[in-house]
Amino acid sequence: MSSDSLEEMKPTPGQRIRSFVQRKDVMQTFVLGIVITAGFTLMGLYAYPNWMPAVHSKEMHSARLIMTIFTVLSAPIAGLVLAVAVRAFLNMHHGDTPPPDSELSERSNTPAILVWCFSTGAFVVAAIAIGLLAYNSDTNSAVADAPDAITVDVTGAQWAWSFYYPAQNIQTHTLELPSGQPVDFHVKSVDVNHSFWPVQLGVKVDANRIVTTTAETRPTTLGPIDIRCAELCGLNHAVMETSGAVVSASDFANWVNSIKASGGVQQ
Amino acid sequence: MTTLVHQSEVSSPAPVPAKSLITKLNIVTGFIVGAIFCWGTYYALRAGRDMTDTHNVNKVLIISMFMWSLGFMIGIGALIGPFRWLIGKDLTPEEELYMSGEGQGMKRYFKFCTDHKVVGIQYLVAVMVLLGAGGTMAMMIRTNLARPGSHLVLPQIYNSLVGLHGITMIIAMIIALTGPLGNFILPMMIGARGEAFPRLNAVSFWLLFTAIPVLCSAWFLGGIPTGWSAYAPLSTQAGPGMNAFLVTIIIFAISTAVAGTNITTTVITMRAKGMRFNRVPIFVIGCTISVALAVPAFPTFMAAMVQTGMDRTISTGFFDANVGGTGWLYANLFWIMGHPEVYVILLPGVAALLEMLPVFTRKPLFSFPMAVAGMAGIAGMSALVWAHHMYMSGWMPALNGPFMVTTEFISFPTGLLFLVFVGTLWRSRPWLKFPMLCVYAMMWNLLIGGITGVYVSDVPLDGTLHGSMFVTAHFHYTIMGAALSGAVGAIAYWFPKLSGRMLNERASYISFWFVQIGLNVLFMGMFLVGAEGQARRVANYSEQFAGGNLVSTIGAYSVGVGMLVFLWAIIHSAGKGAIAPANPWGAKTLEWTVPYPAPVENFSEEQVVTSDPYGFGKRVSK
Repeated sequence: MSSDSLEEMKPTPGQRIRSFVQRKDVMQTFVLGIVITAGFTLMGLYAYPNWMPAVHSKEMHSARLIMTIFTVLSAPIAGLVLAVAVRAFLNMHHGDTPPPDSELSERSNTPAILVWCFSTGAFVVAAIAIGLLAYNSDTNSAVADAPDAITVDVTGAQWAWSFYYPAQNIQTHTLELPSGQPVDFHVKSVDVNHSFWPVQLGVKVDANRIVTTTAETRPTTLGPIDIRCAELCGLNHAVMETSGAVVSASDFANWVNSIKASGGVQQ
Repeated sequence: MTTLVHQSEVSSPAPVPAKSLITKLNIVTGFIVGAIFCWGTYYALRAGRDMTDTHNVNKVLIISMFMWSLGFMIGIGALIGPFRWLIGKDLTPEEELYMSGEGQGMKRYFKFCTDHKVVGIQYLVAVMVLLGAGGTMAMMIRTNLARPGSHLVLPQIYNSLVGLHGITMIIAMIIALTGPLGNFILPMMIGARGEAFPRLNAVSFWLLFTAIPVLCSAWFLGGIPTGWSAYAPLSTQAGPGMNAFLVTIIIFAISTAVAGTNITTTVITMRAKGMRFNRVPIFVIGCTISVALAVPAFPTFMAAMVQTGMDRTISTGFFDANVGGTGWLYANLFWIMGHPEVYVILLPGVAALLEMLPVFTRKPLFSFPMAVAGMAGIAGMSALVWAHHMYMSGWMPALNGPFMVTTEFISFPTGLLFLVFVGTLWRSRPWLKFPMLCVYAMMWNLLIGGITGVYVSDVPLDGTLHGSMFVTAHFHYTIMGAALSGAVGAIAYWFPKLSGRMLNERASYISFWFVQIGLNVLFMGMFLVGAEGQARRVANYSEQFAGGNLVSTIGAYSVGVGMLVFLWAIIHSAGKGAIAPANPWGAKTLEWTVPYPAPVENFSEEQVVTSDPYGFGKRVSK
């Protein structure tokens, strides 16, 4: 056979792709992949937002959004991996003797490797970019120097939280914050490490001895806040909780005044 | 692979005289001498000291625990060689042969034995005991968390359960494969007649063994309140049980370093002729990368424990902010070990499944170089990601961005491993056997663990997820779901080589579904309550998390039942299982050419390797 006729018989890239996608096993894998991808996407769009705490701050909003985006972005990769696995599982060889050797003995496939590396690389780059942008946005909204910022000194002690509002000169064991005003938490501990976690605000920072750490947030929505300790701090770590709320500016002023009226210390 | 015959005749040494000291030493003499050293030191040191001073209590306990370990090692005969060196001698060939355990039957498992196969079985039993203990503690934790307000265990006991479950499982999982199979199977896979440092190999196991009673003693000394991360200053202020924890870690770190050095040296220097690095089985590469990663990682944890011990005994104040120290130093040292440790655990399991995947699919391993690059990339990157555990600590917020980049980048080499799995499974017709089911389980669990790992590596998202049950579920998917599935699959795959018998198939299938369904129910429940805002390591929780916790506890019981069935399958099959054929899976690695029971030096002929062991498929290529 002449080299010209061999050249004529060799399928073009288009023909190869067409015959590839028309194969039954490829179609089955593709359909499985679509179904699994859709499942992950729906979970990202609907399940996580319902599971996560209520959004009372810009930071919590950002956290929920990132969780959804990451799930949706990872869905096609999960879909591909699981589709190949599920299809192979459904095609299992049963019996006590090994199956015959596969018709395929390919040890590598450069286009497949490149596509895979590009896809997972793009996912990684997207995840990094989204994370950095969100982190940068949170950092840029730094409130320490904002003229209307409220500072709250948070103290962790085994096993209770206490709060001091220096501008208002009040000492409390619950946390109330006015909606729309930036808040600057200055956090420290008097004994071991704790971790200050106002759940619905989506921020967290450890409380250490001597050193003061900071966390900043912008409450946006009225509602209750659960404050927990997220660092194992000894015997009663589980009950190191208190409550709080994001309230309107007028309710906050009333709350401050009521505490001042009782000597500046919350009863 | 092919073999050639090149065997020079060596005359066998004469047996050691029955009255020789070396024949008298075993685990019982180890316990006796260890107890004498421990209690002798304890009473000698406490005499004349003010034992109401906690510093003195800590000093006496720590030194006594180390003396237990030293005494045991002397009592079992681990130090006969070094003692001989002091007088310019060494073990005689007769004694060396005796130490290899040849012809000693079951007794050799209770002695200081240098046969790597005996050490492998010793490790396997240790792993099973540790997993059993850690699993029992996990069941107690989950039972306590079944309902809010449950007071099944007191908070102090609960906190100790959390910490001791954690460290027990971490130790068990670190040695789960590199201990039993890294010793028993790995030398055979590379065509070696033994390991590079057989005495050190036995030392590594018996050191680990001495750490187990020390860790158990923590219960009798008031437990540990810190979790396995043992953060300072809680750890420096904790009661005497903390001494047991830190001594355990120091002994274990030494054991790990010794074992890692031995396995790495063995693989580098003792491969069969012709076994170039691109012909080395992928399991061997995974184990080697794992132990090589452990060798630099664990000394930092050990250093942190030494400093904790110094803070507790002589008030050095490394971690005491009042005198210029900082707990952040501890956190850094801990996590410099802590994150690589995840991959030390994960890589052997993944590599074991990669090893068996071509066997069950009858296809070559897809892209061997990508598999190696994936594992090497993970190992390399894992050294650069530790501070993502400290985003919320307040230490160096300016580094959060860079650590987020490195941490998320580790998804890329992890993806390469998935590529190899997917490429090998592509259009395959795998053989339905229990180890193959473990491949599927690992893929699902690692996928979930990997995706949720991207969530917690993100700084803004970590603001809500850090320290929550979500993180607990994430790392359990990785360490238990993926690595333990790999370990269980590997034990099942090589069980015929370990025991000469086949693992009971029916029991292993029952175990598989109980464990895999159970762990997904367990950790999906944890994801739910973690995303909702439940902190981890809490003995109690509010009513809003009741549903998810109950679901998790039900899942935990399913896992518990499955693991008990698997344990029964191993014990029953080892004694009464069907006799295994020489190569039941039709694999092409060298260990399947070794008869059962394996001779002391494995091969009677020098092995010459001419290809890699993945030459499956109709059109075989090299």
